[in-house]
Amino acid sequence: MSNVNAVTFTIVVVLFLVVTLTGFAAARWRRAEDMLHLNEWGLGGRGFGTFVAWFLLGGDLYTAYTFIAVPAAMFGAGAVTGYFAVAYTIIVFPIALIFLPRLWSIARVHHYVTPADFIRGRFGSRGLALAIAFTGILALMPYIALQLVGIQAVLTVMGVGTTAGNAFVKDLPLFIAFLVLAVFTFVSGLRAPALIAFIKDTLVYLMIIVAVLYLPTKVGGWGHIFSTAQAHMTSISPVTHKPTGVFIPTTGNSQLAFSTLALGSALALMVYPHAVTAVLSTKRRDIIKRNMALLPLYSIMLAFIALLGYVALADKVTAANVKKANNPQLAVPYLFQHLFPSWFTGIAFAAIVIGALVPAAIMAIAAANLFTRNIFKEFFKPDASPRLETRVSQWVSLIVKVGALLFAIGLPKTFSINLQLLGGIWILQTFPAIVSGLFTRWFHRYALLAGWLAGMLYGTIAAYNVSSPTASHWAGSVNTLWGHTYYIGLTAIILNIAVSAVLTLVLRAARVPAGTDETLPRQYTADPVDAPARPAPAAAVLESEVPRGD
Amino acid sequence: MTQSSDTPATSGRSRSPVAAHPVTSAIIAILVLASIFFALYVPFYASATPKVGDFPFFYFYLLIYMPVLGVVMWIIITLQRRLRPGPGAEGPAGAGDGEVTR
Repeated sequence: MSNVNAVTFTIVVVLFLVVTLTGFAAARWRRAEDMLHLNEWGLGGRGFGTFVAWFLLGGDLYTAYTFIAVPAAMFGAGAVTGYFAVAYTIIVFPIALIFLPRLWSIARVHHYVTPADFIRGRFGSRGLALAIAFTGILALMPYIALQLVGIQAVLTVMGVGTTAGNAFVKDLPLFIAFLVLAVFTFVSGLRAPALIAFIKDTLVYLMIIVAVLYLPTKVGGWGHIFSTAQAHMTSISPVTHKPTGVFIPTTGNSQLAFSTLALGSALALMVYPHAVTAVLSTKRRDIIKRNMALLPLYSIMLAFIALLGYVALADKVTAANVKKANNPQLAVPYLFQHLFPSWFTGIAFAAIVIGALVPAAIMAIAAANLFTRNIFKEFFKPDASPRLETRVSQWVSLIVKVGALLFAIGLPKTFSINLQLLGGIWILQTFPAIVSGLFTRWFHRYALLAGWLAGMLYGTIAAYNVSSPTASHWAGSVNTLWGHTYYIGLTAIILNIAVSAVLTLVLRAARVPAGTDETLPRQYTADPVDAPARPAPAAAVLESEVPRGD
Repeated sequence: MTQSSDTPATSGRSRSPVAAHPVTSAIIAILVLASIFFALYVPFYASATPKVGDFPFFYFYLLIYMPVLGVVMWIIITLQRRLRPGPGAEGPAGAGDGEVTR
C-alpha cells in the first residue's frame, strides 16, 4: 500500500492545481463593484441563473461523503441503510417545491441571508432565531469534517501519507487540501464553489458513466453483481447471528425503516443552511422551480453510485481489501484502484477530492453567515456595517474550517460519522419553525422554541441509546418504538410538532405576546426581478416587487 | 365573479390563485402527493420480480422513477404558471387570465 502510483498521483495533483487556480480566479467572475458585502461574498451577488444554480445545488447537495458513504452502506448492510438514499433524493424535490419558492421570495424581498434571518423577521423572536442558527452551525461542523473523511478515504487508498508515524506528516496532504480550500473561500466567497462545481460535476459525471458501463463487465455483469449481493445480505453474520443486511426490504419493519429514513432525510436536506445558501443565491423564483425538475438527473447518478457498493462486493479483490482494512468506506476507492487503469483512477479520485471541496466551502460560508447575522450582529454589534459583516464572515468561515479539520484528524472517524447522523436529526428540528412560518403564523414563537428543544433532546438521547452487537451506543439512526422501527429524526420531529401545537394553544389562551411579523402575505410569492439584490431604502424595494402568485 | 383590476398587485390580493383555478390546483396537489407517495410506499415495489434486464424490480423501480419524476415536476411547474395572475404571466394562457384583464 505504500507504493504510490505515479500516474494516479500526478493526475490528482494536476486537477487539484486547476481547481485551486479556478477558486482564486472566481473572485473576478461576475465581479461586483463592492465585494465586501454579504450579498456578494456570501450569496454570489444573488444573481445565479438556472444553469449555474443547477451545478451549484448539485455540487452542494451530492457531497463527496455521499459518494463514499452510500456505497459503503450498500456494501455493508444493503438496501435499508444504503438504497434508501435513492428514495430520499426522489421525494426531496416535490417536498422542496412546496416551500422553497416561498422562502426564496420572502428572503429576496427582505434581504434575508440565512434561514434564521427569516425566523427573526417572521416571529420577531431573537431566541428562536438563535436556536435555528445554533442548530445550523452545530449540524454543519461534523458535515464539513466528513467531507475531509471522504478525502482521507481516497488518500488512504492512494497510499499517500499513511506510512509516516508522525500525525502531522501523516495528514499533510489533507492539511494542504484544506489550506487551499480555506484561502480561496476567504477570497472569493460563494463564487469559488459555484465555479469549481462545473469542474466537479463534469469529473463526477465522467467517473460515474465510465464506472457504470465498464466496471460490471469486469466483474461478471449486473446479474452476477445482484446475485452476489443477495447471497451476501441473506447470509448469517457470525457476529450478530442475524442476516448481514437487507437485499430487498420485505418485512414490515425494514420497509418502515426505509421509508421513514427517506422521508426524514428529505425533510432535513432543504433546511440545511448550505442548501438555503445555494437557493438564495439564484436570480429569480422560477430558477428554483426549474431546478427541482432538473436536479433528479443528479439522483440517477446517485443511484448508480449506490450500486457501486454491490459492484465492490462482487469484486473479490476489492472485498478482500476492504475486509483487511476493516473500513467499508474504502470500498469505492479500492474498487476504482483495482479495476480502472491508473490514469482513470486518478480522474476518479480527483473527482471525489474536488467533490469534497465544493460542499465544504458552501457549508463553511453558510455557517459563517449564520454566526455573523444571527449571533454577532444580533447580540454583539447591531450597528455592524455590511463591510464589517463580510469581514467577520470571512474569518469565521476560516475558523469553522479549522475546527472541522481538527474534528477530522483528532477524533476517531466513527465519532464524526455519529455526529453527522445526529446533525441530520438536529437540523430536522428546525423544519417545523421554518416551514410552518412560511405558510402560517399560527404557531407561537415560544411554543416552537419548546418543540425544538424537546425534539433536540429526544433525538440526541434516542440516538445515543441505539446499540448493536458491535457498538454499545450510536449504532445507527433507527430505533424501535412500540414494536416498530423508525428513523429517530422523524419521531423527534413528530414530538417537536406535537409540543409546539399544544403549547401554542396554552400560550394563546394565556395571551402571551406573539411578537411582531415584518412580512406581508403577498411577499411570499413575490418575484422581484428588477429589485436590486442589495438592500435599498425599504420603500423602493416594495414598489419594484411584482407579486406573481402561484 | 370577483372584481377585476389592471394592476397585478390588487388582483393578487382580491382572490387567491387557488380559488380562481380549482381544477389546475387540484391536479398540482395530486401530482405532488403522488410523486411523494409512490416513492415512500415500499410494499408497492419491494420485490425481486419482475426482473428488468438483470435488475431486480426494487432497484429498477427507483432508478426509472428519477427521469419520470423530472417530467412530472416539469408538468407541475408548467401548471403553476397558469395560476399566476396578472398580465405579467408567461406560458400558456390560463382560463382566468381573460377575466382579470377584461
